[in-house]
Amino acid sequence: MVNKVEMLAEASEVLFLEAYHLDGQRWDEWLELFTEDCEYWMPAWKDEHQVTEDPQRELSLIYYGGRFGLEDRVWRIRSGQSVASRPLPRTSHAVNNIMISDLTEDSMTVRSTWQANCFFHKTNKSETFYGDYEHKLRKTADGWKICRKYVVLKNDYIPTMLDIYNA
Amino acid sequence: MKPNELKYGDIDRLIIDNVDDGEFMVHRDIFTDEQIFELEMKYIFERNWVFVGLESQCPNPNDYYTSYVGRQPIVVMRDADGNLGAFINSCPHKGARVAHHRNGNSKQFVCSYHGWTFNTAGDCIYIKDEESGAYAEPFNKLDHGLHRIKLDSYRGFLFASLTDDVPSLDEHLGETKPLLDLVWDQGPEGIEAIPGTSAYTYDANWKMQIENCIDGYHLTSCHPSFMNIVSRRKAGESGNKQVKSIDFNMLNTVPGGTACMPRGHAVIYSPNPAEQERGMYQHYDEAVERCGETKTKWMLATRNLTIYPNVQFAENASLQMRVIRPISPGKTEMTIYCLGAKGESDEARSIRIRQYEDFFNTSGLATPDDTIAYEDCQFGYQGKTLAWSQGYSRGMKNVKTGNDQFTDEIGFEPDTTTYGRMMDQDETVFYGGYRAWKKFIKDGLDSDGRS
Repeated sequence: MVNKVEMLAEASEVLFLEAYHLDGQRWDEWLELFTEDCEYWMPAWKDEHQVTEDPQRELSLIYYGGRFGLEDRVWRIRSGQSVASRPLPRTSHAVNNIMISDLTEDSMTVRSTWQANCFFHKTNKSETFYGDYEHKLRKTADGWKICRKYVVLKNDYIPTMLDIYNA
Repeated sequence: MKPNELKYGDIDRLIIDNVDDGEFMVHRDIFTDEQIFELEMKYIFERNWVFVGLESQCPNPNDYYTSYVGRQPIVVMRDADGNLGAFINSCPHKGARVAHHRNGNSKQFVCSYHGWTFNTAGDCIYIKDEESGAYAEPFNKLDHGLHRIKLDSYRGFLFASLTDDVPSLDEHLGETKPLLDLVWDQGPEGIEAIPGTSAYTYDANWKMQIENCIDGYHLTSCHPSFMNIVSRRKAGESGNKQVKSIDFNMLNTVPGGTACMPRGHAVIYSPNPAEQERGMYQHYDEAVERCGETKTKWMLATRNLTIYPNVQFAENASLQMRVIRPISPGKTEMTIYCLGAKGESDEARSIRIRQYEDFFNTSGLATPDDTIAYEDCQFGYQGKTLAWSQGYSRGMKNVKTGNDQFTDEIGFEPDTTTYGRMMDQDETVFYGGYRAWKKFIKDGLDSDGRS
């Protein structure tokens, strides 16, 4: 018997925790939120209204069929070998309009809207990236984990670059 | 608006081209000056052939897509009979754009301002309330259709020119055609843009991108994070097995070359010791049967080609088409595509896509490091006290005129080449672009009586 109110609170907490870790650049804690077999997917746009739907036949902005891709990115961010990654921008994520569905004892789908405000130091520019999230959560022995993060970036005319910390 | 005061002599002073005495230097004003930018747009982009897309972007009658030639917005349309045309995307009446979407299919275009209507051959087929217009005769003699510009195609690569004052497309592309064939012939029916594009801007000059694609020297210092991630994957330190990206370390072991051609085109290339990692390799036997072993080898090679001034085909970590649109001296727009062979297998396509996403996307693990480097350069150019760039000297003692082994194998006639190891990281490959830069601008000044 699922308690929708409780699950909404728990789902929100996961999403807020993810934003908290990204904004705090706590990469290990952020990675820990994902299952090893997670899918992280930000499709590309085909035109004004349609995103790509088949990541094997169509292009995505980011697509990983496992946490390994996120781990590669965190390695790069920490490596000191990527000029785009230092200094990292300050980010501030806002996650809103959270709705849950497909509820079972140990899984649910979470839809929300997101906004990542970024301050880039070398240019003193503020950029905002925004769109929709669809997370799938799975209950594990260590609590709720993200087994799928689907990100739609609405403003895909990108000022210079985009990474997992401003998405 | 202040008239452009730059003359011939000013252009000559900006590039020190004295290779016989061991000197080639570029004045940094060419990356920041508004008047120079104006001349570039006028004489390099708006008095020249400019890449505007692939035929496969509008395959069917009444298909269209929008693009730019220089600063001027255009719409490319296929008419009801299947003929392609390119037009200024502006109603001749009061100027409103007639094509509002990036692409689509429409039998006609109705201007949403005053209702003038055009067919897909660009003819004006309806002027609202024409009978009650009380037009004087001179109006009736005007061409009310969309303004057509020159459009031509090589294989399926579309180029447009705003003026007739250009050589034929065939002459413009010249010796690049065999190199374009190495892109096009990767499949029996040619190549296409894989669905899903990306557009981004960067705060630096367009010539940063022109240089970067043919710049071997930046690889190990700008992309060590990418190279080390690939090494980590090979060593089992990363769990990422979904993509086998190019190991640039292998370029230490192979010969490499660079070539410049007339009109600013240039290429850097190197045979690929890891052909089996390419998407195209899935169709190796078919390619050899159709094109022979040598051409197939070169289709699988590492090969970055610039078709001056605005399109690049980067084939190293997958096959990318980059379209460059200068917006101002310090701002450039890039539209990027992953290309694949029409009809290729799911496996081949998937390989191309994963490799592309890994390296080339502006959300990838490598391109952002390039783009930030350009912005760092543009930042540095504010230091006008340091007027000249030294970055054009590597390979100066190696550069030769005429053919070499690689150009003979591929079958084109270059102006200048270098041949050695890929990791010689040649900088003479930039000369062709800057020599053409000078020539386009000076020819343009000539044509306007401003030498």
